[in-house]
Amino acid sequence: MSEPPEPPPEEPSEVEYRRPAWVEPPADMVPGIVPVELILARTPQRAIGLTGIRAYPTGFGCTLHLRLREDIPGEQSNFGAFNMFGDGVDPAGEFADYYLRFGVGFADGRRATNLNQRHDFDEGPAPDPPTLWLVRWEGYDRLAWEVSLWVYGLPPPGPLAFVVEWPARDIPESRVEIDAGLVLEAAARAVPIWPDPPQR
Amino acid sequence: MSFFDKPALRPPIELRMPVWSRGPEDMVPGVVPVALLVARTDTHAVLIDGLLVYPTGFDFDLAVRRHPRQPRHHRHHPHLWDDQLRLEVRFADGRTADNGPGRWPRPSGDHLPDPPLLYQSVSGPDGGHVWLWGLPPPGPLTFACQWPAEQIPPSQATLDAGLVLAAAARARTLWPDEASA
Repeated sequence: MSEPPEPPPEEPSEVEYRRPAWVEPPADMVPGIVPVELILARTPQRAIGLTGIRAYPTGFGCTLHLRLREDIPGEQSNFGAFNMFGDGVDPAGEFADYYLRFGVGFADGRRATNLNQRHDFDEGPAPDPPTLWLVRWEGYDRLAWEVSLWVYGLPPPGPLAFVVEWPARDIPESRVEIDAGLVLEAAARAVPIWPDPPQR
Repeated sequence: MSFFDKPALRPPIELRMPVWSRGPEDMVPGVVPVALLVARTDTHAVLIDGLLVYPTGFDFDLAVRRHPRQPRHHRHHPHLWDDQLRLEVRFADGRTADNGPGRWPRPSGDHLPDPPLLYQSVSGPDGGHVWLWGLPPPGPLTFACQWPAEQIPPSQATLDAGLVLAAAARARTLWPDEASA
């Protein structure tokens, strides 16, 4: 005897879910742009650039450019975008020197790096800013990777530092600073997409 | 003598993408200092954001934003081309490029396709990421979109192409002295 078929589960036609502010920019704003074009580190074979700060009242996004000049025989894995934010290399483990380290430093001493990421940002209380979150990466033919990042939290006035280090790839700790005022001014230029409540 | 004789190093994989399919890998791009709101309805908006420019073309995010009080709809029908957000980029001289199907040429040796050519590498409900091969001439640079499935009517916004050309001039070569090495 067959059991009566269960009614199909009611699928919600709508889901009210927004990702929290520390994971992505506010959905309802157009950012202010800081047209920075930085080279954070460069060796004869590798380079790391940072461009295009997109500022909001809650933080800022930017793009990291990872560049390998040519394919190097014996070079392990790809250019490191996976390792930066994935679980391919434990930054505290045996191959820690292969982990590309990136961070931002505020003038008041606070900092966010990819060494202390949370992977459960959707749950629990809001973290203390700044925090760093990987938005997207894209890679081409092993030589070039673009990594979009979200930094939750705006810097205080003063120098804003971008720091990289990649020991196994001969990139020592390298730092480029910009005036945080540029980011704060751009955040003030961000405008709401829907300034008025929508007509219902 | 070790049981495991080490093999020779593997030769590099020749997997270079054609030059027209992406930005030059030995450059850091210049930045266009504005984001562009192309379409807005009560529930959705479409932004052109993150415009990064090389001497051969430019990258940008085609970003779909939803009003914070607008719930996400579960869509159960198949992923059809007609459902997609359509984008067209228009140069001041009348040339256009769009993300319609069948516009992406097969790589064929050293043949370079005529610019502009638009390639959307990421595509989804939140928009996508776009590479446009070719720089616009001076004048208005128009981004036009429509998305019938989300009730976004034909909409457009214009940018001064001079901003793109100025950013292209600021793109930096990473190894300028060793180009032939």
